[in-house]
Formats: sequence, C-alpha cells, structure tokens
Amino acid sequence: MNAFLVLWRREMTGYFHSPVAYASLTFFLLVMGMTFYFLASVLADGVPGVGVMNLMFGSPFYWMTQMVVVPLLTMRLFAEERRTGTLETLLTAPVSDASVVGAKFAGVYSFYLLMWAPTLLFLAVLHGLSAEIPPFDPGAVAGGYIGAALTGALFLAIGLLCSLTTSNQIIAAITSFALMILFFFSGFLEFISYHTTALAVADYLSPHRHMIEFSRGAVDSRAVVFYLGGTCFFLFSATRILESRHWK
Amino acid sequence: MITVSHLTKTFPGRVAVNDLSFEVGHREVVGFLGPNGSGKTTTMRILAGYLPASAGVVKVAGFDVTRHSLEVRKRIGYLPENCPLYPDMRVDEYLRFRAALKGVPRTRRKDRIAEVKELCGLADSGRRIIGQLSKGYRQRVGLAEALVHDPELLILDEPTIGLDPNQIRQVRQLIHELGRRHTILLSTHILSEVEATCRRVLIIKQGRIVAADATDRLLRHMKGMARITAEIKAPRDLLAAELGTWPDLADLAIEAEGEWLRLSFHCPRAQDPRTRLFEWIASRGWLLRDLHLEAGTLEDLFVSLTNDTPAARREPGP
Repeated sequence: MNAFLVLWRREMTGYFHSPVAYASLTFFLLVMGMTFYFLASVLADGVPGVGVMNLMFGSPFYWMTQMVVVPLLTMRLFAEERRTGTLETLLTAPVSDASVVGAKFAGVYSFYLLMWAPTLLFLAVLHGLSAEIPPFDPGAVAGGYIGAALTGALFLAIGLLCSLTTSNQIIAAITSFALMILFFFSGFLEFISYHTTALAVADYLSPHRHMIEFSRGAVDSRAVVFYLGGTCFFLFSATRILESRHWK
Repeated sequence: MITVSHLTKTFPGRVAVNDLSFEVGHREVVGFLGPNGSGKTTTMRILAGYLPASAGVVKVAGFDVTRHSLEVRKRIGYLPENCPLYPDMRVDEYLRFRAALKGVPRTRRKDRIAEVKELCGLADSGRRIIGQLSKGYRQRVGLAEALVHDPELLILDEPTIGLDPNQIRQVRQLIHELGRRHTILLSTHILSEVEATCRRVLIIKQGRIVAADATDRLLRHMKGMARITAEIKAPRDLLAAELGTWPDLADLAIEAEGEWLRLSFHCPRAQDPRTRLFEWIASRGWLLRDLHLEAGTLEDLFVSLTNDTPAARREPGP
C-alpha cells in the first residue's frame, strides 16, 4: 500500500512538471469554456426542451476533449519510462506489478478529475446569472459528472494499456485514440446493420447514448457496470502484460 | 549470496546466456567481464528480477528470483547500464522517492539519504535538477539510489562508463569501501578497476563462462605469461607465415604502422623469445626498431579469452 501511495504521488507531481499536461489542461478548459458559452447562449435564447447538462456532456465538444486529452495524458505513462530506461529501475524496486499499474492509473485519473474541477465554476456562474433558480437539475449535474468520471476511467485505462505496449509516446497516443474512436463508433452500428443483435449491442455499447442518459440524471446500473468492468479489464490486462516479462 | 545454476536465456533468434553457472559468496566483490554482447547485462537483469530466465535456477540470498521476486528485489541495489533517472526531479526529491519506494522507514529516510549523498559525493547537490547534471554526477545519483536501502547485494552494470579518469578513480575507491559491507557484482570494461577492487573475476563470452577464478590467482598466472611487441620492416605475408609455425606463440597480431609492421604475441615468460626473434630478423636482413617484453595482465587474459579475430590479422595492404 505504501509503495502504491509513493508511486501515485510521483505520478501526480510528474504531471505538474510536464508541458504536455499543461497543454492538455489548457485545451480542455478552452473547449469546455466554449461549451459553457453555447450553453449560456441557448439558455439566454430560452430554447425550450433542451437539457442543460445534455448540452455540456452530450455535445461533440465533450467527446472532442475525451478523444484528444486522454491519449495526451496516458501516452507517457509507460512509453516514456520504457524509452528512458527508468522502467527497469521501477520494475526492479520491491513493488508489485499491480501496484505499478494501479498507481499509474490512480495518478492519471486524479489529474483527469482535477481537470474537471474548474468546470464546476461554470455551473456556479450559471447559477448566479440565472433568474430561474436553479437553472439545472442537481440530479442531472451529478449524473453528468458521474458519466464523465466513468467514461474517463475506461478511456484512461485503454490509454494506459496502449502506453504499456510501446516505447514511442506518439504510437501510444495514436493507438489509444484509434481504440477510443472504434469504441465510440460501435454505438452507431445501427447505421450499418438493422439486425436486432447489432441494435442491442449498439444500444449497450454506445458511449454517446450513455452520456445522454447520465446527463439527464439517469444513472443506469448496466452502464456503470459496463464502464467499471471495462476499466478493470484493461487494468488487469495491463498488469498481466507487465507480469508477462516473468514468464519463461 | 548469489547462486546461478545452468542459467540459459534465449531471445528470438539468439542465445544470450548459455548454461551459465557460478556462485558469489557473502561480501565478495566479483568482477563480471566480457565483450559487448556477451550476456553480462542480460545476466544482471535476470539477477535483478527484470527479465525471466529461459531455463536454470537463479537464487539471491536463498530466494528464487522468479518465484520470490519481491524478496529478492528488497535485498538488491541495482544500477542498470546507462543509469536511467527521472530528469525532471531534484536529487533529494528522487532519493526520497526511491527510499520510500524501497521501504526505508520514514524515521530513517532523512539520515540514510544524507549518508548515501555523503558517500557518493552529492552532499552539496541535493537541490540540483537531475536533467541538468553532468554524466558523472548522474552516475553518482544512480549509485546513491542503488545504496539508499542499504541492500545486501549491489549489482552494478558498468558504473564507470562515460566518466573521466578522476571520476573513475573516485567510483573505484567508493566500490572498494562498499565491498567491506556489501556483496558486489560489478560489470566493467576497465580491467584495472577489476584488478584494484575485485577479489574474484568471472569472464564470459557468448553467454558462457570462459574463466572464473580469484583475481590474484589469475594475475599470478598471467605474470607467468609475457607479451612480446616488436616493430619490423618486412614483407607482411612472409612474416605472418613464418611466425605462424613458431611453437608456444599465441594471439599473434600484425598491424601496419606506416611502412613498419607492429607485431605482438603472447608466450610463456620462461621461454623469452627475444634473442631468437632478433637473430631471425637479422638473418633475413629486415629492419628492427623496437623489441620489448611486458608481463601479462588481466587485459591480456581478457583479450586472449574473448578475442575472435584470427591469430595473424591481415591489415589491408597499402
């Protein structure tokens, strides 16, 4: 446990020394700021039947931030250590492979959650400006942020796994981006097949649909299990890949 | 402390370590020598628990390196080749991080870091950023990191590579001091370093041990050997062909040096062939400008055991 905390802290502080992390943070806050601008415009125009949180978490801007920021944050996790050789000193320290994977994931996930924290200010501003109190449903806010936390966890786990398989950060970023795109578009199977199974699979997988539901305040346990299960699966796979160096 | 038994490591298409067996006793300082690509780093990585063995058994302090990897890693201080470090961290920050990761108790951490910094000549460098340190200082940080948890066994893979002669001397002195309290397996290409610091020597070639003995015994053996060097102006082919027939002559090398040929070979010291060589050269009417004998060194042994070039090297003619 101690080694896990030590590594987690190292990962977290590592992000604050990394220009890529600051660039990601800037990009993320810029795009989310634009989202907020549109959100405020729509509310000012009084367009009926539009969920506020749907605009924030169901918009293309949300997915743009995920697709760009997650690979940028995860690409360095193992690829950089492998390239510089520090992976050798890390893996010859008395620390289990599961702790290494867990701490790296916890580090990047903490940074990801910290990135979302300033967006709460948008809601506070909206709350202050709005004549209608409250301008949004607290359940939808919680649902939207739970959705962002869950999709973020899954995508970061995918990115971590991709970073483990190469010593080139660019390749790690491109691979995780490709896998995320593949996963994202699996939710649109209905446009290429009308088979009932395809429709059911698309319905279950579609991250876009999940986010729409989450941002309405409907936290479906099936989706929660899907994201948590997927995250655990990718982290477990990463641990097994790391352990495989001990296999004869 | 280390028991390696029939260790084999294969990579796709090549055998890096081939049926290697050796032991290293408690508080022994052992030099692990071999040409580049001979399997030294692979063996050290297996000992440190970074790579698995394809076959064989490797134990450190009685623990199998594969089955009890964590127990082994607690007892090892490992300095990999090229000394990888985090360039964004400060020296103190890095040592604190590694000490905590290696389980040095919080109450002991500060003192222990101060001790290893003092030992490695880093007492005034704690605030410096690792990425801005010279190669020599980075090497010291790597050594301090390997020592920070006071391990029973130190595995040092070329700790002096890239250092200047003064730094090499300092590291050699440090290893000498560390040898009083730790078991050390040291890989290096600087053989004078091995002569000065290692009680025992293992020489490997193509993944197999070709010599393993006490350093002083090997040196005594080598002192019984001599290296003859001569500079002659003579037809190269004739020289090589005739010398090739001389008995008790090993590692013959002929190199062109302008119009002259530099000739060197090993032979038993008791059979000092200088007079015979001089008379032979004079009888042929060739010119001779240098002829001398040197006692054999560890370097000579290393070269004779690991050099694959033909006995008489033929340099391209002018």
